[in-house]
Amino acid sequence: MKQDHAGKRGHAVKEDHAALADTFNKDEARVNWHDETLWWIRQKRDKAAHTIPEWELLRETASRIKDNVLSNLGGYLEQFEAAATANGVTVHWAADAAEHNAIVLSLLRRHGVDKMVKSKSMLTEECHLNEFLKEQGIEVIDTDLGERVVQLAEEPPSHIVLPCIHKKKEEIGEIFHEHLGTPAGNADPQFLTHAARLHLREKFLTRRAALTGVNFAVAETGEFVVCTNEGNADMGAHLADVHIACMGIEKIVPRREHLGVFLRLLTRSATGQPITTYSSHFKKPRLGKEMHIVLVDNGRSVHLGRKEFRNSLKCIRCAACFNTCPVYRRSGGHSYHTAVAGPIGSILAPNLDREKYADLPFASTLCGSCSNVCPVKIDIHEQLYKWRQVLVQSGHAPLGKKAAMKTMTWVLSNPSVYRGAGKMGRWFMLNAPFTVNNGMNPWYKQRDMPPVPKQSFGEWYKKNKK
Amino acid sequence: MKTVKGNQPEWRELPEIPAGGVGGVGSGGDGGVPGDGPVSGDALAEVFVKTLEAIGGSAYVVSGFDRIATILRELYPRVGRVVTGCPELEGFGELARSYADPHELEDVGLAVLGAHFGVAENGACWITEDRMIERALPFIAQNLVLVIKKKDVVANMHVAYERIGGMDGGYGFATFIAGPSKTADIEQSLVLGAHGPRSMTVFLVDEEMSDAGFY
Repeated sequence: MKQDHAGKRGHAVKEDHAALADTFNKDEARVNWHDETLWWIRQKRDKAAHTIPEWELLRETASRIKDNVLSNLGGYLEQFEAAATANGVTVHWAADAAEHNAIVLSLLRRHGVDKMVKSKSMLTEECHLNEFLKEQGIEVIDTDLGERVVQLAEEPPSHIVLPCIHKKKEEIGEIFHEHLGTPAGNADPQFLTHAARLHLREKFLTRRAALTGVNFAVAETGEFVVCTNEGNADMGAHLADVHIACMGIEKIVPRREHLGVFLRLLTRSATGQPITTYSSHFKKPRLGKEMHIVLVDNGRSVHLGRKEFRNSLKCIRCAACFNTCPVYRRSGGHSYHTAVAGPIGSILAPNLDREKYADLPFASTLCGSCSNVCPVKIDIHEQLYKWRQVLVQSGHAPLGKKAAMKTMTWVLSNPSVYRGAGKMGRWFMLNAPFTVNNGMNPWYKQRDMPPVPKQSFGEWYKKNKK
Repeated sequence: MKTVKGNQPEWRELPEIPAGGVGGVGSGGDGGVPGDGPVSGDALAEVFVKTLEAIGGSAYVVSGFDRIATILRELYPRVGRVVTGCPELEGFGELARSYADPHELEDVGLAVLGAHFGVAENGACWITEDRMIERALPFIAQNLVLVIKKKDVVANMHVAYERIGGMDGGYGFATFIAGPSKTADIEQSLVLGAHGPRSMTVFLVDEEMSDAGFY
């Protein structure tokens, strides 16, 4: 089933990043608020990073551990499976999203479960698990507060760490009024959080199955770590008969001691906190209960073979690149129409579907801020640039861009045409600005152009060189 | 798996993580644990307390369990059901037994548990399942208290994992807990008490400490 990540779930996507960003940009005050909120989080990240003198060494170490992981991913996965199985955990392998969803469904069916609680898992977003289970008559309650908000609003998350960062508290108050019966007009975060606490506590206490994501899985010991601030993953897992943990195969770390490196980096990069409230290490199921791990490939093994792009598999999903990105901050998460938005999502998504996500590597200024904050040193902006070349060469570039590029090539390779074009451009901008300043020219969106010079640099140089 | 093995790049060595952690002994950042040289237990405990308070928790350095009971009576006069894993606090709360069903813990107002050690750089405490009685307890209780020895505060997460590696690794579940459950999902306004405990207090027991000043 297709899912529209740009708006309400369930409709087909037709619009690209630029069109969706346009929609987001209609409300200038909201864009400014969104921009400032995310920049504030970026500043908190800086403050936290600067308290650690060895921060850069930590990033380098994390990056090199991930290099090692990718170079022996197959071996570590086998080691992990053996250790987890010895711990009494059942390990499942899923080649793609459909297999992943079918495994989860069969586990729920086997236990006669038709209601489940779920903590945050971007992988299940990537696999569209909620929609699939709904079609099968299984109710899924997202228990992370932000995810519950967007779930009630029938929207996908717009940010991987802060799922409802695009929503104003008044809108959340309205959603809660409609679905949870809170008084109309009450938009106090403390009050709304308390209402959600009561609403979700009842779900935790009555659900027999819980699904969680995985932040890190340790090959050596077979344990996996789930990080939350709310405690929702733990509330779900420890009260359920069946705990299903879903993870992408790249989440492996070789040894438990490596967690020290990643846990120091993860939350400082994400929100500027020194660590999440809970970093829970799951190793064995509770007595008489079941624990399952679903290892999902879904394109990752193919991506591993792309030399120029495999580094993106090092990602630990902290979203620091979202918060710093000038395009993300001003276009909103839904404009990326994919589960993982932002700069990292823009290099991961074309791997899954080149056709559908060909627009995303162009949704960047290539300023490089993403690469500078990345805790595992992924060369994000360089990969965005490389994807553009691959996409243009394989004929996936947006049509308008292709035509414009061809014209540019012709103009730039013919000096006389170039001089003529410059002259013409200046004449039109001076004497007939409406021909360039119209809906056809994206450079005029939300901005005015500087005054037009009377002559080109070439002309000026010729006159003044004597 | 065949694709994974076929596509993985050539072997890259794992980086060495020196004893004491990346950045050397005592590195830890927040609040200024000195970068080199041995760090005293007192200095680490001080940083731990400061860090924990900054993330919404609270901490007390105490001489022992008598003092803990006194403080808890003042802090939580009407907290309802108290469950504890510390035999020293029998009488103050219900000494935890094994529960047939974790749902029996639904109405716990306060849980008091012994943890293994604290981490100065982030205010977290490490606690394994055997000390939780039920895995759900530290999460389902409305308020959580953890007790550690004051000397059991390590500088950073590297030292923490060195220590975990040296302990019995046989736990089925264990967790770092740093402060109360919280969320900032609504317009980035911080709210304590998301799904788990609304408050989290750590007692650091210093057996050499005198209570004289308190009475």
